[in-house]
Amino acid sequence: MNAAARSLLARALIVLLMAVTLLPFLSMFSAALAPSGTYPNGLEWPSDPQWINFVKAFEVANMGELLKSSALIVLGVVPVSVLIATMAGYGLAKLTSNRYKWLYLVFVAGLTLPFEAVITPLYYEVRALGLLNTRFAIILPLIGLYMPFSVYWMRAHFLNVPNDLTEAAQLDGATRWDEFWKVQVPLARPAIMSLMILLFLWTWNQFLLPVVLVRDPLQRTMAGALGAFQGQWGTDVPLLCAGSLLILAPTIILFLIFQRQFVAALMQGAVKG
Amino acid sequence: MAGLELRDIRKSYGNVEVIKGVDLAISHGEFVVFVGPSGCGKSTLLRMIAGLEDITAGDIFIGDTLVNDVEARDRGVAMVFQSYALYPHMSVYDNVGFALKLAKTDKEVRDKKIREVARVLQMEELLERKPAQLSGGQRQRVAIGRAIVRDPDVFLFDEPLSNLDAALRVDMRMELSRLHQDLDATMIYVTHDQIEAMTLADKIVVLDGGIVQQVGSPLELYNRPANLFVAGFIGSPKMNFLPVEVAAAANDSVIVAGSALDSTELARPIAGIARADKLTLGLRPQAFVASKAGIRGKVELVERLGHETIVRVRLKDGSDIMAVLQGQSDVMPGDAIGLGFDHKDVHLFGKDGARL
Ligand SMILES: Nc1ncnc2c1ncn2[C@@H]1O[C@H](COP(=O)(O)OP(=O)(O)O)[C@@H](O)[C@H]1O
Ligand SMILES: [Mg+2]
Repeated sequence: MNAAARSLLARALIVLLMAVTLLPFLSMFSAALAPSGTYPNGLEWPSDPQWINFVKAFEVANMGELLKSSALIVLGVVPVSVLIATMAGYGLAKLTSNRYKWLYLVFVAGLTLPFEAVITPLYYEVRALGLLNTRFAIILPLIGLYMPFSVYWMRAHFLNVPNDLTEAAQLDGATRWDEFWKVQVPLARPAIMSLMILLFLWTWNQFLLPVVLVRDPLQRTMAGALGAFQGQWGTDVPLLCAGSLLILAPTIILFLIFQRQFVAALMQGAVKG
Repeated sequence: MAGLELRDIRKSYGNVEVIKGVDLAISHGEFVVFVGPSGCGKSTLLRMIAGLEDITAGDIFIGDTLVNDVEARDRGVAMVFQSYALYPHMSVYDNVGFALKLAKTDKEVRDKKIREVARVLQMEELLERKPAQLSGGQRQRVAIGRAIVRDPDVFLFDEPLSNLDAALRVDMRMELSRLHQDLDATMIYVTHDQIEAMTLADKIVVLDGGIVQQVGSPLELYNRPANLFVAGFIGSPKMNFLPVEVAAAANDSVIVAGSALDSTELARPIAGIARADKLTLGLRPQAFVASKAGIRGKVELVERLGHETIVRVRLKDGSDIMAVLQGQSDVMPGDAIGLGFDHKDVHLFGKDGARL
């Protein structure tokens, strides 16, 4: 096969992959425009697109409230997680002597733990703390559950910062605290940005935890609120689809704004493994 | 402003001792160069002085203060790293001013000092740039600027020129010499390059295997190397070594002979040797002149540098020696050649390698 043919094949494969990725969205989009209460197959463009479905979904699910709730949860989770993970990552990468290297393994072990496995004990724990049905029932466990990955992520970054910089800062008269805030954190900005984006995504799309730990849909995350379309009004497929698209919207907008950082975040993971 | 003293300094990594008891006194204002092959412990020693590395045993004094337990940031030393270690996110201005900022120096004073340093190092036009936008030589300047802006008691340099190209290295070497005179500061400089050591140092400390081999001025080391290691390390091309045996030893002269060397009389008293002792005779390549007498051999290789001619000569026992002949010699490879030398230029080393 010559180079031209090979590049053509590569392109064809990419187009195919893109189609496979986009198809569910397009399908959802067409279904969202079908008349409310019908059962569209999601394969054809409706003859009479019901744009009003988006408005209805927004109202039915009380999206305004949900947006606020989601934002509150994200604000409660992401900055705190990133701060703790940055400090812990720095500590594990730069301040830990060989004798205590194993501490890091504790975090790595946490990576193997699926959310689903801890959800039941978590329920009892949150109940014992008296936090059931408050947003803290989502915020506090999420911070904890994100730690293994976040610490792993930040540690990987700090390991790559040359020790010379630390030493230069020390000789310039910096305390550890100075060095951390004035040298390490500014240098870690790309890693911190990536981590923030990932944690935002995971929090925004968090479904299981809110559904189990918080009964009031208006105190959940947006994804958790999807449940509102079930049960109460039966499953209204077009509204469900319209709602899902609305929930996706903020992440997509964010993606468009931070495209480069997103890609960098994923690449970073790929390289550092 | 301060001198420095090391007393029986040792360093071990696990069971491996890499610095094996170093004693050294450095007076205020001296330019001291630690020189030795890669891995001999130069950086480790320097980093112990800086406070970046724990001391396994021994005492370090800066001025009159025992600094064993003093943090690096409180030792009053500044260091220039081989990698420069500039803060990549800060402009040159902020890089140079970082220490002053940490010390909460008044903003106007700070600005004045930074600009003064930039002027001294001729990098005023670089102040707004980030390190990534600088060439190697410019980064080097910034790294030096960052050190001098704090006006430290002691400057430490760890192979600061090894990432620069040859021409720039010569320039920076002169600039460092000039800075040393201007600043009147104590400087300790680490290098594996004996030419840097010879050109910069007031005092050279030759290290090998974590042990100080010799301390002295460049010419002391060149003229009277304490042992085979120093003799081979200082000077370029390397000193030639010939195995010899003592044929006769009298009170005020000694006669030696070897497989490549006819009987040679050295008219000076040498203590502690006897007939049949096996010694090493050292001759610098520059000690030779082409002549009918002396060491005979065949020219293997000729390098013509214009002001001098470097020849490699194969001797009758199959070993090679290097000779640097003054001026433009017309020797050709394959020629037979005789290399004469003055007996005063002969170095003799005993079985243990120590100078006799
Ligand atoms: N952190 C370390 N752990 C173990 N051995 C080390 C460490 N740092 C240096 N060494 C060893 O100490 C010796 C001296 O190193 P160094 O001072 O860097 O040599 P130089 O600067 O003269 O090239 C080397 O053999 C090196 O392998
Ligand atoms: Mg070194």
